[in-house]
Amino acid sequence: MEIDWSVIFSFLPELAAGAKTTLYITVVGLIGGMFLGVVAGLMRAYGGRFLNAVAFVYIEVIRGTPIVVQVMFLYFALPVLADIRIDPLSAAILAIIVNAGAYIAEIVRGALLSISKGLTEAGLAMGLPYWKVLLYITGPLAFRRLIPPLGNQFIVSLKDTSLFIVIGVGELARTGQEIMASNFRAVEIWTAVAVIYLLMTGTLTLLLRIIEKRMRIL
Amino acid sequence: MSIITFNKTSKHFGALKVLDQVDLSIDAGEVVVLIGPSGSGKSTLLRCINGLEQITDGDLVVDGISVNSGAKQLREIRQEAGMVFQQFNLFPQLTALENVAFGPKKVRGADRQEADRVAMELLKKVGLEDKAKHFPSELSGGQQQRVAIARALAIKPKVMLFDEATSALDPELKQEVLNVMRQLAEEGMTMIVVTHEIGFAKQVGTRLIFMEHGKIAVDGDPRELIDNPPNDRLKDFLQHV
Repeated sequence: MEIDWSVIFSFLPELAAGAKTTLYITVVGLIGGMFLGVVAGLMRAYGGRFLNAVAFVYIEVIRGTPIVVQVMFLYFALPVLADIRIDPLSAAILAIIVNAGAYIAEIVRGALLSISKGLTEAGLAMGLPYWKVLLYITGPLAFRRLIPPLGNQFIVSLKDTSLFIVIGVGELARTGQEIMASNFRAVEIWTAVAVIYLLMTGTLTLLLRIIEKRMRIL
Repeated sequence: MSIITFNKTSKHFGALKVLDQVDLSIDAGEVVVLIGPSGSGKSTLLRCINGLEQITDGDLVVDGISVNSGAKQLREIRQEAGMVFQQFNLFPQLTALENVAFGPKKVRGADRQEADRVAMELLKKVGLEDKAKHFPSELSGGQQQRVAIARALAIKPKVMLFDEATSALDPELKQEVLNVMRQLAEEGMTMIVVTHEIGFAKQVGTRLIFMEHGKIAVDGDPRELIDNPPNDRLKDFLQHV
């Protein structure tokens, strides 16, 4: 079969729809993942023995198992176990939240602990309660250090959505596969899919670079 | 009137006794200079006063409040005891002015305008009004430490605690910080100074305390003690600093 790049154009609407689903899963998943990650990271950094242990177990279980297994569990095992039935899209979003949350928790913990102890002492010595020291001093400083590793995690999570092909979510990789199955244009379609992923991750990288530049990274 | 009272105060780190049944009473207006070999407990003694280290035994009363009476009371003590650290510990994301205005705003609840006015006044006092808009990373060590002193003064403390405030500085930068400390002492501020600057102790101190093995070994008038050390240990120590 001869390579004919023009076939890509006839499938652009489908590919665009797939990319939109990928973005949707990524954005919603990462917003949830950020929230979960910050909470778990704070628990790890400042929680008492109990909160620390809860966060530790969560992080280790998630980091120690593949995301494909996690989404399969959410989609196929949860209905059996707890009679909770969720649609593939929700399972995909939930998988990103839970998975990214674990990695972000470690990023948050690392950033918080990297701030010199002396700054916390300086804040406490003024008579501020611990949470205010965190809010006004340690937190803002840690946030700046968060951005580079966080960007990394965002890109990983975006690409991880392609694994949800296994539960049949119509994201970009799945769309590519379905088109392929109908016309066998492997080179053209997978090239197009790869380029669209690159466009999305490239835009993300650019955005993060702008944010990084606007904040003085200390 | 005693403003700080140690009553058989001990501090242990595990099996290690850092403070061993210390009895000490400090009056308002005193400039107490704490000296001693490293590991003798002088920094720990200072850090117990504002609760950065928790005492393990005995009692410690600051401005009428025991350091053991609860988190809220401890914050009250800390608002009366400004601390200056060896490593300055200025907030790197804030300018010199913002660093000094931070306490009045966040601790004392002053509005922005009032906080900035107080901060500018204090920067003037330490001779750094022209550096108000500079970030700590743009200042020399001596300048950073003077900003840190202004920051501690901004919450209007009754006592100032200096934890080796000049130890991280070059000799010529030390002097500018010591001058600010001398000026504070002349204004009648109660000060407790952990230092290796024997000259400062002699000229500015009203009381010299020599610590050894977590205990107060010698306590008395700086000039007398430095000119005529009452025991060999202090004599030996003074010869080596």
